[in-house]
Formats: sequence, C-alpha cells, structure tokens
Amino acid sequence: MLDSHVRSPTLQRRAPPATPPSWESAFQAHYVELCEYVLRFVGSAEAAQDLVQDLFLRLWDSRGPRDATRLTRPYLYVAARNRALKYLRHRRVVTAWIARVACEETPPSDTPEDLCLRGELDDAVQQAIAQLPARCRAIFVLRRREQLSYREIATRLGVSLGTVKSQMWRATLRLRTKLAPYLARPVIPEDRAG
Amino acid sequence: MTEGIEKSDLLRFVEGDCSPDEAAAIQGWIAADPRRGELLDDLRAVWGLTGSSTRPWVVAGARIRLLRSRGRHAAQRSAGFSARPRSLPFGRAGHGLARIAAAIACVVAGTVVWRLRPRAAPSREYATSPGQRLRLTLSDSTRVLLSVGTRLRVPRDFGIHTRAVELDGEAYFVVRHDPRHPFLVRTRQGVTEDLGTSFDVRAYPQEDYLQVVVAAGRVSLHAGPGRGRDSALSLRSRDRGVIDARGVLSATPGVSLGDYLAWTRGTLAFRNAALGDVVAQLGRWYDVDIDVGDASGTAERLTISFATGSVDEALATLARVLDARWTRSGRMVRLTPLQRRQ
Repeated sequence: MLDSHVRSPTLQRRAPPATPPSWESAFQAHYVELCEYVLRFVGSAEAAQDLVQDLFLRLWDSRGPRDATRLTRPYLYVAARNRALKYLRHRRVVTAWIARVACEETPPSDTPEDLCLRGELDDAVQQAIAQLPARCRAIFVLRRREQLSYREIATRLGVSLGTVKSQMWRATLRLRTKLAPYLARPVIPEDRAG
Repeated sequence: MTEGIEKSDLLRFVEGDCSPDEAAAIQGWIAADPRRGELLDDLRAVWGLTGSSTRPWVVAGARIRLLRSRGRHAAQRSAGFSARPRSLPFGRAGHGLARIAAAIACVVAGTVVWRLRPRAAPSREYATSPGQRLRLTLSDSTRVLLSVGTRLRVPRDFGIHTRAVELDGEAYFVVRHDPRHPFLVRTRQGVTEDLGTSFDVRAYPQEDYLQVVVAAGRVSLHAGPGRGRDSALSLRSRDRGVIDARGVLSATPGVSLGDYLAWTRGTLAFRNAALGDVVAQLGRWYDVDIDVGDASGTAERLTISFATGSVDEALATLARVLDARWTRSGRMVRLTPLQRRQ
C-alpha cells in the first residue's frame, strides 16, 4: 500500500499490458484468415466478424494453461467452423447449403514461399486484368486493389452506383473466362527448393 | 424467399456485403441449383487470384472492439451475470432489468477500461523462442513470418506516417506497397525499405551483419546512421544484400531463393557457411546449446541442409559431415572430433 503513494501516475498508467502476448499474437496472426474462412460459410461480413470476435472472447474468458493448444491455427479453425455451422443451423438456413459448406476445408497455411511461387501466376492475372475494357478495368482495380467502396468508386469516376456494380460484374465474368485454366486451386509442387 | 435474386447478387455475397438475412436468402437460392454453386466457386476463385483478401478487414478496429467487450465481460462477471459472451448474432432473449443493469455495467466498465488504457496504443512486440516460428498479419495486411529466436517490435505510430518495424533476428515480409506510407524494417546495422515486395531480413544480435534477400519486387537498403558511409543499395528479385560489421554494403545478384527461404518451409539450408553460423542457427532452430569444442576454430565451410524433424537426426547429420561423435543430454550437446591417426 505504502509504495502506491510513491508511484507516479505515469507509471501506473503504464501498468503491465492487459493481454498476454501469446493471446495477442494469436489474434493478430489469425483474425483476418478466420474472418475470411467464416465468411465462406455465412456470406455476411457483419456476421463473420461477430462470430470470430465471439470466439476470441470465449477463449479469453476461459484462458488458462490450455491456451498453448487452443491458440493454435488448427484449433482456431475447428472452433470457428463449429461456430459458423451452429450459427447457420440456428438461423435455419436451408440444409442443402449447410451440407455444402460442411465440406469447406481448412485452407492450407501457405508459407511465404508459396506466396512467392504464386507470383508466377500473378503475371497471367495481371495480363487478364490489363485486357479488360478501360472503364471495366478502372472500376475493378479501384475495388480490388485500392479497396474502395462502390460508392467511393462512383464518386471518384463520376458514374452511377448502378454502373459501378454492373461493370464490376462484367469484369468478374470476363476474368472468369480468361482465367478459366487457373480457377482450380493451383497445385504447388511439394518441393521446388531442391 | 428467393425471388428477385440475380446472378450478380453473388458478388455481394462473395464480398460479404449482405446483411445476415440477405445472405440466408442467397444461400437458399444457391442451394436450389448446382450451377449456381459452380458459379459461386468460380467467382471466389477469381477473387482469390486477384487479391490477397476478399475485403478490407480492419484488424485494429476489431482489436479495440474486443478489448472493450472484454472489459464488459469482466464487469458482467463481477456483477453476477453470466460470463458467457452475449452470443451476438443469435436471439436477443434476456430479462429487461438484467439488460438494463448489464448496460450500466457496460458503460461503467467501458469507462474504466478506457481510463486504464494508455493514451495511444502501446507498441507491440512479438517474439519467438528457439524452435518456434510465428505467422502474423499486421494492421496494414502486411504478412510476416518470424523465424526462430526473433523479436519484432511494432511501434505505436505504425502506419501513421511510415510503417516502421524493428527487428532482431530473421523474418520474411510480404508487404502491400503503399508509397505514401513506406514500409521500413529497422535493424541494428541498417534499414530495409520496401518498394513493392516480398523479402527476407536477417539480423540476429549475435551476428555482426545484416542480410536482405529479395524474393519479388524491389527494396532499398540503407546503412544505419553513423555506420560507415551513409550509402544505399537498391535490390531486385533474387538479389542478396549485406551490410557487414564495418557498415560496408555489398550485393550478390541471382542467389538461390530456395537456400535462403528454405526456413519458411521448415528446412534449414546452408551453402558454404562457417561452422559457427551453422551451429548457432541449429541451436536456435532446435533450442539446444551446441559445444563444438576444438572444431570451433576450423575454417571449414559447410554445405548442408536439415529437414526439421528431430533434433537428434539433425545432430547425426552434422556429426557425420564433421566426422565427429555427438552426445546430448537435455539441451546440452557436445560434438567431439573422432581421433584420426595417420
């Protein structure tokens, strides 16, 4: 008690961080990929974020010695998947859809080298995008690369929201045709390093 | 439920722009016809090829929301309410009074948590111990893979003007280039600046050099202030840049990415490396202390690779190459040269 008088307020404010590093790391490392994964089940980013947030909250509430196993990628994926399926059943989504997403696999944890190999594919993608009609391309690039919202794109290019949406759809369909050979999950050889 | 849905609505579904109810309607629509499912798969594949994420998720915002709800949880628990999360997307059942009380608790807890929080977000630090690697996504969606025995500090002003991080150890970065917010990796010996890239930075405190290997794109390498001449080096794909102990920069073009990036796939590869370097890296990788005794002074250069599996296998490989005997007890490893007599 005595030394609480001595301590300066600044020191107190700098009290130990409330989050154990492992927990914080797990959140930083996996939040985005878990949201992406859950989104495939639920189709609504709002719901996906809530579900992933709920999962981390729950882990926080019951934190303890088991964290070492629970904060790993495989565990988090299984837990996220179970939550997503539970959510779909709870909302009485048609069973055919639930059966479909139940086959959804955990995406492979790609190493940076996988990303590097995928770069080769990027050339084909860049070319396909470059071949889109000018306006189509501008809209697609603003959306996918600059990550602007449809409304922001409409304002920036001075076109209607409807035009942005229809051009975006057209771009996607064209890319689907152009990139047809690559649309299957690219097979990356196990060992290219040797 | 499903009337009025068009194929183009699938795009909103893929991007997650639907409300939960719209999403449910579209799910029913897709399930009604397998061709719609195929179209969905194709759209997702196009999305996967043309960007790193489906939509811009805001990690920093999510983190703050989580910190706030966490405070709320603690308050609910101490007030005698269930500590279980208020399962957000599900039903909103709950006793009116309890909800009001909970709301008050939230506000109180929220204020307390807010007061306790430092003004700005504190800098964050990620560290791996020997034998451990860590994959991270930073708030700007830069991906980082930390190698063993590495420390990465993300200062509190990350992303405000520059995106600067501080590194002790080795890490592989896949950076989303943004000329307005340059990405910088600061190390003891110098600064690596991203110019649109994937690259590996190695600067262990125990080693007296900084090494940068570029996998794709371009980076620029600057010697730290007060170290040698204040010069810079521009590196392209497959270039290896080094700043040595005296602050001298040098570049080797056309290196084997496989060798330098093997660790990202769980393999350690050395080409013409000093025994001391091999032993130090093995020690970090498997969390052991290796004593090579007399052999430590040898000028022998090694070309050797280890697939990470068991530490004992790796030690056996090393011992074979060095013509030595090895013993291990716990973390302590001793290599003794086999007696050779002419």
